[in-house]
Amino acid sequence: MKVLVVDDSATMRRIIIKNLNDAGFSDTVEAENGIEAISRMAGVELVLTDWNMPVMDGLSFVKEIRRNTAYANVPIVMITSIGAKKEVVEALKQGVNNYIVKPFTPAILIEKVKSVIPN
Amino acid sequence: MDVKYINHFISAVNNTFTTMLGSSPERQGLSLKQHHVAQGDISSIIGFAGKLAHGSVALSFPQETALKIHAVMTGETLDKLNKDVQDTVGEIVNIIAGGAKTEFDQEGLSFHISIPTVVVGKDHTIIHKGSTPIVLLPFTWEGCSFVMEISLKLEGTPRRPIRQLAGEAF
Repeated sequence: MKVLVVDDSATMRRIIIKNLNDAGFSDTVEAENGIEAISRMAGVELVLTDWNMPVMDGLSFVKEIRRNTAYANVPIVMITSIGAKKEVVEALKQGVNNYIVKPFTPAILIEKVKSVIPN
Repeated sequence: MDVKYINHFISAVNNTFTTMLGSSPERQGLSLKQHHVAQGDISSIIGFAGKLAHGSVALSFPQETALKIHAVMTGETLDKLNKDVQDTVGEIVNIIAGGAKTEFDQEGLSFHISIPTVVVGKDHTIIHKGSTPIVLLPFTWEGCSFVMEISLKLEGTPRRPIRQLAGEAF
């Protein structure tokens, strides 16, 4: 399964990708903002994205890919430091399938990832 | 500024360190900062903007602390404050600001947070906009030190004056 990890922090991308690799998700691709992420969507089957990023933020990126019929059903997990209820509701409304609030443990990350993968 | 609002930031620091770095830091006191010179070699600052609350939070780390945080988070041991360490410091402050924002939001004090800005170098300055007092909170973690600076203006009358808080141990 090809997983796209979108975060403006290289450190956070590194941590997320290590956790994914440790759990058996070895096919990963990275992007540091929404614009870059859109250009890397080909073949992607799961998206993990941050919210607060420069150039194009995570919510705008989610809206963009949900408008594209080719990616309308790709599962999306938002991983962000913003855990306010209002923001979580807005993200889910725009098509995010699950939500992780930073800081997170590897166990939480993998649990949420597995929760959005179709059986 | 009510004491509980300072506690939102302390709680976010503790949660971030415990979850991402494996152990919580100890807070060493509280004072008001009267100048703009940073206490650490690397700092990151994030701004808040909302109708009822605005200001900024910064964390400043000596090189030793920043390198140790980077090593624990990524497994990579470095000897200088390069781009990767700067990214780690920015992300730690981003997570702390987001954690505090979540607690403020639960009390109806919503605001947006900015992208973190990172500054490196001896005696660099940290500028919190406006004339709001800057609360300085020193911490130790795994034998290393760092400080958090909070400058937060809440619209409305604070329950107790901020200068009173500086002398309290809470």
